[in-house]
Amino acid sequence: MSFRYKSALLSLVSMALIYVWFFVALVIHYRTGHPFNPVAHLAGTIVALAVVQIVGHAIIAGTSSDKYDAPDERERAFDRRATMVGYYVLIVGALMGIGTLHLGFDGPMVGDAVLFAIVFAECTRQSVFLIAHHRAG
Amino acid sequence: MFPIANNVRAEREARGMTQSELGAAIGLTRQTIAAIEQRHYSPSLEAAFRIARLFETSVDALFQWEE
Repeated sequence: MSFRYKSALLSLVSMALIYVWFFVALVIHYRTGHPFNPVAHLAGTIVALAVVQIVGHAIIAGTSSDKYDAPDERERAFDRRATMVGYYVLIVGALMGIGTLHLGFDGPMVGDAVLFAIVFAECTRQSVFLIAHHRAG
Repeated sequence: MFPIANNVRAEREARGMTQSELGAAIGLTRQTIAAIEQRHYSPSLEAAFRIARLFETSVDALFQWEE
């Protein structure tokens, strides 16, 4: 496995797990009215993700001999394909997030919906990159 | 599998090069060289010319279109 493959896998898994925790707590808050500080919760999520990414990348860099290699044409092609798919997911998700305004959602809920679209688009981008790697051998 | 067959593996092995060495010589990763040899990836025209020049042969001799 190349360094960039391991990096994409780490990013996907860490983002998915940490943001699932974030959004589950958010849904519980909206449904039960459980006391909740959304700013502290979001800040904690971002810090946790940053720590996991920094530590995780330091570990995989230590086990990858190709960590300093520039991406070549094949990896750039994977990246372009992944970014293109992620972009469309982001646009559709953001429009749907804004559309929640018409469902009676308030400001913070619309913001959370857009944040979900951003996270989902990034997870999609990383997934497409990993799938392209797998398919191309 | 891509329709472009190639002799990259045979030419590389004839020169005693590893996939990593070939990749480093022409600016591709070892994984990309492996994918080209297994016909899982068709290189760009530029990469094809770089490989051909390194092996002192022509692109035609190295790559063939197969239906």
